[in-house]
Amino acid sequence: MPTLMRNERGRLSIRLAHHRAKSAKSANPASSADLGASIEIKSEDVAVTWRPSRHARRLLTLAAAALLLAVITRRPELAGVAGPPLLLLGAARVSPRGRQDRLGIRVGLTATRVYEGEPAALDVTVASDSHDARWSLEPGKCVEPTSAPSVNGQAARFTFTVDRWGKRKLGTVTLRLHDRWRLTEGQVALALPAIDCYPSPAVQRTQVVLSKLPNRLGEHRARVPGEGVEFTGVREFVPGDRQRAINWPATTRRGRLQVNTFAAERSQDVVLLVDATSDVGEPGESALDLGLRGAAGAARAYLAGRDRVGVITYQWGGARWLAPSLGRRQEYKIIDVLIEADTGYTRGAIFSRLPRAALPPGALVVVFSPLLDNRFVETLRDMRERGFSLIVVDVMNAEPPARRAFADSAARRIWRLEQQAIRFSLRELGVPVVTWDGRTPLDIPLAPYTRRPLVTRR
Amino acid sequence: MSPLAVAGPRLAALLLGAASVAWAAAPLKNGGLAPALLTVSIVVVAAGALRLALVDIPQPDDYFFQPGYVRAWLVVAGLLRTWAWEETAVVAILWLEVQHPARPWHTAALGAGVAAYLLVTHIAESGADPAQVLRRQAKILAVGACLLALGAGFAMLPAATPGAGAALLRVLAAAAVVLAVALVLPA
Repeated sequence: MPTLMRNERGRLSIRLAHHRAKSAKSANPASSADLGASIEIKSEDVAVTWRPSRHARRLLTLAAAALLLAVITRRPELAGVAGPPLLLLGAARVSPRGRQDRLGIRVGLTATRVYEGEPAALDVTVASDSHDARWSLEPGKCVEPTSAPSVNGQAARFTFTVDRWGKRKLGTVTLRLHDRWRLTEGQVALALPAIDCYPSPAVQRTQVVLSKLPNRLGEHRARVPGEGVEFTGVREFVPGDRQRAINWPATTRRGRLQVNTFAAERSQDVVLLVDATSDVGEPGESALDLGLRGAAGAARAYLAGRDRVGVITYQWGGARWLAPSLGRRQEYKIIDVLIEADTGYTRGAIFSRLPRAALPPGALVVVFSPLLDNRFVETLRDMRERGFSLIVVDVMNAEPPARRAFADSAARRIWRLEQQAIRFSLRELGVPVVTWDGRTPLDIPLAPYTRRPLVTRR
Repeated sequence: MSPLAVAGPRLAALLLGAASVAWAAAPLKNGGLAPALLTVSIVVVAAGALRLALVDIPQPDDYFFQPGYVRAWLVVAGLLRTWAWEETAVVAILWLEVQHPARPWHTAALGAGVAAYLLVTHIAESGADPAQVLRRQAKILAVGACLLALGAGFAMLPAATPGAGAALLRVLAAAAVVLAVALVLPA
């Protein structure tokens, strides 16, 4: 979903979180000023708990130890050592002015939705200037601070990136206030809201296009003649043809009116099917990570080609799906469905058929799966038998650990054979299976199918 | 905040702690508790400096799945963060000082050094602006220095009568003056 914010001219504008490819991760991080103004997401009046600071406890220890040793050893000079700490403690004791029991704190974020690795900033402000304030950020899981974790001042800005997709809690921000003697400190801990982190979309510029397209205006060249811009041939004029289509050189040569013919331009329905039943591999580079990144990249590519794109995430708790639709907004809707993907096991949640409303007849189904779950593979076979055109992007990038034991190596070989058999059986059914490692653009494994239309066979 | 501005107070705290230990230990004594107290003082000042150096390194929430050496390091880092090293250092340094015969001005200088050590440690761990903190506390610190000198002066006064009672009375008189000044002056 886009984010509404005010631009420099004070007008409301839509801020869309821009795609940041994986390769851009190595680029220089944006400075905190480049991230722009923040949107207020939380403003609270919080209670402050005041207590002696660590410095006060140390001074008290010094004074007590000096006085005690002075009495025990009968040395007056040690009583003098207790002088400075006792003076400071006394000063703080008799002048507690300005200690507020409640303080107004504002929390703002430059973006409430970010892509993996995209920098964002958190702004915190306290509505009081009578104390020395120090902010410290304790980041949540997968949140990586890119600025100093502690900042002094009434207002502070922390920059961070989120390493992995999902709904991520930003963590906790702690405000410490000191009195002028720095002997009393007030502490406020504020839980920060969660932020939606979108999977970093894979790079895909080309599209797989079906040979048989539905009769709907679009941008893909169809095999049937129509009102497109791509020239297909010349034929004799028949009443009803448009005058502007007359090919005058051909007419002069043949002596009869000839008209140009053009290919029709159609759009297609694309359904992205993401297998979330198993998540294997290193976190951040797991099969599910690759599947979601690939699906996000494919959604962007097909929506840019004016296709209607929908999504289904196949998981234990049942499928989550979004019916195909057009437009930029659909891209964010699709990613919102994707980040809800959950690999958690739910007992008894079995389904062999995917939701009918999410699968329009004649749609191209692009599947992202490690092909580890037999029920999912059976579902693919069932879809193929029902006439859907499928293309499977294999995102399996891990293997069972290699060990020296004979039984382990034999099990590994058997596992590999099973995996090869699954892929072979799908190819035999007419389902292309391509392997994607998550690093290269998706165009490379899909190249054999993007150069020419994918023939629809029933 | 520049790295120098961060590292400066931490280094100053280490140097002041080391100077206080050296000052309290000089001249070195071999008998009694002095060697043990010197060792303890060195260890706790070093541990306090290490705590300040590692204060910016975040502590992971769970380290159950980490390798053994990482877990051991995290336990050590946790101990460094939790133990009151500076308080222990103060007690050990003062105790080390009383292992020597009475030397009023030496002790007064040590008091100033230890107070400075605690103040700089606080500045280092809180990231406060040293100039601002010292400007605000300048008057109190000046009066504190006068009290240190007063304590040393009390110690140099000749006792009215020989014996433990007179020495104790001098101590109580000095402590009473210090307490009175501490209570009256801030008001």
